[in-house]
Amino acid sequence: MSNEPRKESLRYLFERVVTPLGYKFTPDAELVDELLEAEVKLEQDLGAPYCPCQGRSGVREEDMKIVCPCIPFHRAHFDAMKRCWCGLFVHLDVTDPDSLPQFPPDED
Amino acid sequence: MIDEVFVYALSTCPWCRKTKQWFDDSRIEYEAVDVDKLSGDEQDAAADKAYELSGGRRFPVVVINGEVVVGYNPDKFLQHLRSWGGGGG
Amino acid sequence: MTGPVWVPTIDDTKVREGAYAAVFPMGLGVLLVRVGGDLFAIANKCAHMGCPLEGGKLEGHVLTCPCHDWRFDVRTGALLDAPELAVATFPLKVEDGKIHVRVGEE
Repeated sequence: MSNEPRKESLRYLFERVVTPLGYKFTPDAELVDELLEAEVKLEQDLGAPYCPCQGRSGVREEDMKIVCPCIPFHRAHFDAMKRCWCGLFVHLDVTDPDSLPQFPPDED
Repeated sequence: MIDEVFVYALSTCPWCRKTKQWFDDSRIEYEAVDVDKLSGDEQDAAADKAYELSGGRRFPVVVINGEVVVGYNPDKFLQHLRSWGGGGG
Repeated sequence: MTGPVWVPTIDDTKVREGAYAAVFPMGLGVLLVRVGGDLFAIANKCAHMGCPLEGGKLEGHVLTCPCHDWRFDVRTGALLDAPELAVATFPLKVEDGKIHVRVGEE
């Protein structure tokens, strides 16, 4: 079964969440497609579209903070990188996402 | 100048794939594990190790000659690779 | 809709202290919440993925979405972790023992 309809739904839902936060989908369309595909599979397997680049702990309180879009719960860190951890979202002014470094929160 | 490189990865994460690709392209040997592809105790052990090393739950976690780099960060990888003149910390 | 209208919903007594009730003025999903004696009306739809907030836990003024635990202040509709993300709130009044909700605002 194709995951395209669910990917489109997530696109629509997430766009509404990230825009007021100052973010947009990365201009790297291939990356967007790959990440949304992964999230749809995670949602099918585990019940929520978790971040494809963060590990779950089994503790609900922690795991809910990495359900996409997880920007509200990691804002200072993501703002410092101008992108979220998996790179699905970048700051509104970003045109060259490959130039953005990926670093953990204590290195900003 | 042998470098010891281990990559803790998630199969769902493009940056983990890019990290492995970077080491492939740089012709540096490495070991890697997709933590989410393991099962049971094996998965728990690998995940716990990655979380302990990185102090978080973000992937990839790359261990280069004992130094930990979290995230796809070629500049940091180079810093710790002896074969590239790094390894000084 | 032609503009805001007051729509009668349920009896005031139906919303107990520290609890909420789901109503549907003009077909719109709204939660009526009573905390500290005050009544609030917020959209029954999470700002994250549109889950109904009904079924979520109410602690003080904070309502937690049952789907992914996003927490909202029922007074303002704001998400605690990022106030820019809010669910809609609606004016309300009690008349003749019934809670009226104003819907249809742009």
